[in-house]
Amino acid sequence: MRTPLLRYFAKEYRKRKKKTALITFAITWGTLSLLLLMSFGRGLTNSFRISFKGLGDNLIMIYRGQTSKDYHGLPKGRRIMIYPRDISLLSALIPEIELISPESNDYFTITGGGRETNRNVCGVGPSFGGMRSMIAESGGRFINEDDERSARRVAFIGWNMAKNLFPAENPVGRTIVITRVPFTVIGVMKKKLQSSAYQGFDADHAYIPYSTFSRIDSQLYLDRIHIQPKRREDNKLVERRIREILGRKYRFDPKDDYALGVWNTIEQAEVAGKAFKGIEIFLALIGGLTLLIGAVGVTNLMYALVKERTREIGIKMALGARRRHIIIQFLLETVFIFSKGTFWGTAIAYTIVRLTRLIPISYEISGIQTYLLRPVFSLDILIIFLVVLGILVFLSGIFPAARASRLNPVEALRYE
Amino acid sequence: MIEMENINKVYKMGEVSLDALKEVSLSIEPGEFISIMGPSGSGKSTLLNIIGCLDTPTSGSYFLEEKNVAGLSLDQLSAVRNRKIGFVFQNFNLLPYATTYENVELPMLFNGKSGKKRRQRVIELLEMVGLVNRQLHRPSELSGGEQQRVAIARALANDPAMILADEPTGNLDSKTGVEIMGLFVRLQQQGRTILMVTHDTNIAAYSQRTINLLDGRII
Repeated sequence: MRTPLLRYFAKEYRKRKKKTALITFAITWGTLSLLLLMSFGRGLTNSFRISFKGLGDNLIMIYRGQTSKDYHGLPKGRRIMIYPRDISLLSALIPEIELISPESNDYFTITGGGRETNRNVCGVGPSFGGMRSMIAESGGRFINEDDERSARRVAFIGWNMAKNLFPAENPVGRTIVITRVPFTVIGVMKKKLQSSAYQGFDADHAYIPYSTFSRIDSQLYLDRIHIQPKRREDNKLVERRIREILGRKYRFDPKDDYALGVWNTIEQAEVAGKAFKGIEIFLALIGGLTLLIGAVGVTNLMYALVKERTREIGIKMALGARRRHIIIQFLLETVFIFSKGTFWGTAIAYTIVRLTRLIPISYEISGIQTYLLRPVFSLDILIIFLVVLGILVFLSGIFPAARASRLNPVEALRYE
Repeated sequence: MIEMENINKVYKMGEVSLDALKEVSLSIEPGEFISIMGPSGSGKSTLLNIIGCLDTPTSGSYFLEEKNVAGLSLDQLSAVRNRKIGFVFQNFNLLPYATTYENVELPMLFNGKSGKKRRQRVIELLEMVGLVNRQLHRPSELSGGEQQRVAIARALANDPAMILADEPTGNLDSKTGVEIMGLFVRLQQQGRTILMVTHDTNIAAYSQRTINLLDGRII
């Protein structure tokens, strides 16, 4: 193909720009809406997944219960308590357990930084932080083995409590007083998404070594035991073994679901995972339909645009244009329109996604924006979209031109 | 210049077939100015289209400058049209988005004439038809007579031996029609062969020979 002819094609395209504006806009709009739909949809499921892990990753929680069945001559309705010594019993008898930690909590008056608040204080073991996705802000740390062994008066506090007591300064190293006992703050929790909780969110709590807690609180039993199995798939096995072992010790039927409270977040996560998968399939379906509708519209426009130029093709052929002259002109125009439309659609969608992600989000459960404001721009969706729409647009742009170029010029000239 | 022997053209429209040309034989010498006349549907445009290689006959032989055109491919026919034939249509058939200059230049772009020669030729032709000052106008900004003059300049772009005109004055008033015919007479004086379809005897009077068609036959 000779350059002067290509230059002429370019000139012709520029003069017909207004005619192609609609289709360029349609492609831009289609690209934009599909990418935004999929990006925000992915962001939504993504945030769900993250916040689900906010309570804890791979976690089984045990708490006190009340029997609902008679057992070996004992009546139903007995309270079943759990105690600190059960920790070593369970870890000794269930080799599948990776991490285990006690937890007891109580509301105490906490003062610090000249302010006072009434908050939940939890006595926990050193492995608790890892199980519950608690990460210390830099410069701080979670409770460790030494703290527990020596019953040190140290506290790890949630970011909300840190903000309330020490709004303007770093709480690490400062002293807080919990029910008249002074504690040193050793770390502040990094913000995290958390979709489920008990007795309030982690952000509001103070965490101290369990050994220390048992000295300021008179409660002898535990509120909860946190367990993380070595392998996720062992969660049902571990749960069953806990019921068997504690059932033998405290005399209740291991099949009595109410005797011992068990919150198996792994099982719950699997159910939720299926729900997320469902949402993703649903989104893909909507995306596919959107693509289909868009493709029908775009190809239709493209087809009409080329079809109405049949006579023009006839004129050019009468003047001596060869088939390849005709086809190359339409090919170039189609490629150009398609590239322009998808470029702008992608650029705008990408910008919107980036800008949305800059909006600060609250880490409170109430904020729906937490889930909506973290869209994920997905390259794979863009590629699928470009390939599918590209093929359709290409065919709808080239097919009528190629057909017209196969006609006798006189037939093409007769086209109205 | 042109030797046609027993040309038939059949149009098939579903079950019905229409014989547009029946056993047409024709011989045209270089430099002739010929009118093709006949009532509507007599096959005169079909004959012109076949002579111009815009359409192909169903049967028969057609030699254009001693070359058999019957067996050529679409692209080969394009090349023949580009170099040997210039077309002037009743409705001008200018490209609506191209300027006067670009319309005249286009046939030369299809055969790759060099830039300098192209520019010279376009200006030369626009001077001939008197439209140098209209070269940046689009067809929609020109009068009917001006558009037909652009079409004639375009037909001459590659200096073809033969000009084919299908009712060239059909969409023009009689005064403009006379101007256009003046151009045709000048072209013939330059030695070009001109074939013109018309049903206007005043226009046919400019030619030296008239071929009459009736129901697809020369009479």
